[in-house]
Amino acid sequence: MTAPAPAATAAVPGRSPYLAMILAWLIPGLGHYYLGLRRRAAAFAVIVVVTFVLGLSFQGRLYSIEQGQPLTILATFAVCGTGLLNIAARLFSENPGGTILSATYEYGCAYLLTAGLMNLLLVLDAWDIATGRKR
Amino acid sequence: MTPILSLVPTDHFLIMALYALLVSSFFAILWRDDRRERWKLFAILVAALVGGGLAVAWLMYPFPK
Repeated sequence: MTAPAPAATAAVPGRSPYLAMILAWLIPGLGHYYLGLRRRAAAFAVIVVVTFVLGLSFQGRLYSIEQGQPLTILATFAVCGTGLLNIAARLFSENPGGTILSATYEYGCAYLLTAGLMNLLLVLDAWDIATGRKR
Repeated sequence: MTPILSLVPTDHFLIMALYALLVSSFFAILWRDDRRERWKLFAILVAALVGGGLAVAWLMYPFPK
């Protein structure tokens, strides 16, 4: 017995899924705003930005790829998920490498990684909504 | 320390609880459309994250190093 297929919903008319994904990556919530989901976009923007800023405040590290440290590839990918936030923080932050001796360093890293991963989920969500897989 | 940075919590439990609130609200909004269902999922996730954190901390208590 096969499970019933999920009900298909209509794609968002006049909205490009590719542009929705790019906007969602650049600024948290912007992809959903572009798709007309303004309240949801505002909520996502607040959550991701607050998580990212707290990560920086806790002196977490904006990861970069290091030779001989393969896990930094995954961590860099995760942090880069925050799009322009990540780029701006790397350009303007006084301490993008974090402070490893700080008591809150590990928390800061977890917050920064989580913010990036949450925004990557938003990119995929924007795609699903734009193509009609999700409302 | 700037005035804004002085507002940032340094208490470990508070940082964990704040993390749980942020992650729970994110997934509640992402995964549920109905308002009542969102609150329900939010409460379950917060309880699981904070309760799970406390449970792991309690289990690790005999092994400080």
